[in-house]
Amino acid sequence: MITPKAKVHGRTGRADRQCRISRRGRTVVAATLSVGLVAAALAGCAGGNNSSSSGMDGKTVKMFTWVGSSDEHAQWQSYIDGGKLDDPSLSVSFSGPAIGSYYTKLPTELKGSSAPCIITLQNGQLAPYASALVPLDSYAKSAGVSISSYDPSMIKQLSQGGKVYALPYDAEPMVLYYNKKLFAAAGVPDPSTNWTTSDFLAAAKATTKNGVYGFAIGQAIGAVGTWMAANGESYISNAGKSDLSSATLKSRFQWLVDLATKYKVATPLEASGGTFPDIDKFGSGQAAMFLNGTWDFLHESQQIGKDNLGVATIPSDNGKPFGSIAGTGYAVTKTCSDKTAAFKAIAAMTSAKSQQFVAKSRSQVPARADSLAAWQSSVGAQPAAVVKALTEHSQNLPAATNANQINTLFTQYEVDAFSGKSSVSEVLQQVAAGAGQ
Amino acid sequence: MASITPTGSAPSATGALPPGFRHRRVPGGKSWLGWILVAPGLIGLVLFIIAPLLGSLVLGFFNYTLLGGGAFTGLANFTHLFRDPQFLNSVRVTAIFVAVYTPLNLALSLAMALWLKSWVAGKAALRVIFLIPALSPIVVNAVIFRLLLQQNGAINETLAGIGVSPIPWLSDGNWAMVAIIMVSLWQSFGYNMIILGAGLDSISPDVIAASRIDGAGPLRRLRSITLPLLSPALFFTTVLTVIGAWQVFIQVYIMTGGGPGQSTETIMMYLYATGFTFNQLGYASAIAAVLFVIIAIVTLIQLWGQKQWVHYD
Repeated sequence: MITPKAKVHGRTGRADRQCRISRRGRTVVAATLSVGLVAAALAGCAGGNNSSSSGMDGKTVKMFTWVGSSDEHAQWQSYIDGGKLDDPSLSVSFSGPAIGSYYTKLPTELKGSSAPCIITLQNGQLAPYASALVPLDSYAKSAGVSISSYDPSMIKQLSQGGKVYALPYDAEPMVLYYNKKLFAAAGVPDPSTNWTTSDFLAAAKATTKNGVYGFAIGQAIGAVGTWMAANGESYISNAGKSDLSSATLKSRFQWLVDLATKYKVATPLEASGGTFPDIDKFGSGQAAMFLNGTWDFLHESQQIGKDNLGVATIPSDNGKPFGSIAGTGYAVTKTCSDKTAAFKAIAAMTSAKSQQFVAKSRSQVPARADSLAAWQSSVGAQPAAVVKALTEHSQNLPAATNANQINTLFTQYEVDAFSGKSSVSEVLQQVAAGAGQ
Repeated sequence: MASITPTGSAPSATGALPPGFRHRRVPGGKSWLGWILVAPGLIGLVLFIIAPLLGSLVLGFFNYTLLGGGAFTGLANFTHLFRDPQFLNSVRVTAIFVAVYTPLNLALSLAMALWLKSWVAGKAALRVIFLIPALSPIVVNAVIFRLLLQQNGAINETLAGIGVSPIPWLSDGNWAMVAIIMVSLWQSFGYNMIILGAGLDSISPDVIAASRIDGAGPLRRLRSITLPLLSPALFFTTVLTVIGAWQVFIQVYIMTGGGPGQSTETIMMYLYATGFTFNQLGYASAIAAVLFVIIAIVTLIQLWGQKQWVHYD
């Protein structure tokens, strides 16, 4: 490269020029890098969430939750519409991914520059996120909201260290859904609230025909935990420690595997990334029974028809119904710039008026005793009787502190038990090893 | 670089410019012009590539979680990696994927490009059709393949129709890897096919004609004329395919979640689970740094090795 300057100063040698250009180049590169790093640092600061209006959009409170379908969108809108009956000034906007990736995105969202004021947490999911949330006890006291109005089992599951971190909007027992039409075609009577595991197996065998399976097995360790809970068992201590060597866990897991491999009344589980094969199979009429919470009532009614949808207790060995309550609550983030407004919004969305509204419009079991009648009138006598039987004899399912890790590993390894590559003991050992237990 | 005279109009020996030409002043001197022009790209590179890379590397030295902050742990994350059976397994799984997928991809792409170079009715339309999988989102392809490969899916139903037993595509570790390789090939062979096709188009017909006159048959022409002249394009596609293969993630995430067991848990899958499911961002950053080094070493070996087989003339 020949610059005019080099021509004028004839004594400037090539090496000198290169050296000067190189110095310039280094300077420019250094300057650009500095600008970039400063900009990156600034961007990082922006991510530190120091904004004075964090989590708020004017008077509107921002909520991060799972919105994986139009049905879920309608559910959140129902709670907001119901909340407006209690507080007409309520203004909440919401966004988020599907439930399958909600908890993996939640930490990033809480740390980001657009962190919300409200998030939703299912029971058992509080521990990993509690450090980013504010206890609600003092806000409830100031606003005159009585915590005792909510289902005590849900409040317990949404508390940590004696402090309440989220207010529940539902308290829903796990139930067994069955397809009435398939039951009738197989000559199987509707289950009573005292049916046993043997009754269940007989029904599953009878309804397994013509390409339809009697039962659809759910993924992850929760599917085993639900069967255990129906028999009053748990593999998780009250301190949140999983005992993966538990004999009852092994036997219930083996029983689930047997349903597919020995009794042939269910399809074996296959590897899959974050799907719900049991919901898909039941909803498409490929399975006569599956387990889920009562929150799925409306969805399954839409899938197979309300008249065709039956709800039963989860069978136990001795026939005594025993329920495990699950649900979701709203929590306020530490970074929220107007926590009082956020709590006010939560109070409205979990108020008696809101829960009665949603119980009628979406058939979700409310987390307040004063709203249960609205739900019972919405779903009819049979599901109401089942839920009554389950809630009368229910337990709080303790949640593992490393639930996400256990679930991920179990979902990966359980396939080997169904394919016969590993025994259930080996699978549980592999999960324990992966989780560092 | 800094010359601002019109192309082909170098200053005369006396330094005078032709009539009507004069120097335009560039703020800060002429040598800055290039840097100014490069600056947007350079800043983008720093902001979106170098800074995150450095940030990730720094995080690798911390026991960092998104919500809990972190403490400096020195090389602990890196030393633990080499004793972590899950990580070592993920390296093994990814290496198997790279070793099988890369040659299959290149062979398939080359075969398709050669086929479409020959006389084929409607080859322009066929090129577009074969490119469609590469243009469609990999998430969609992976979801469709997952449905097709289920135990009672369309592929097993079809196989049953011709008397073949169902294949445990998603419940056996080896078959699950085959399924991942299948969807990866489906997704990306069209892209390489287009590049290799362009490479074939750039080979002079005279050279081919001369080889025919010299009596070279189709196989000899392929081995001695076509492949050597195609070697720059083959090298380019090989480098990119290998880099992409080491980073395989989406199809694994959608189709198997890394299972059954850990049979399809690639490095990226393990990194994702560690960082975002197990919330160990510091350890995940150490995995990312090691993956970066692996890819850099493999790419450098390829760049060094090109002297042996790539012909640029």
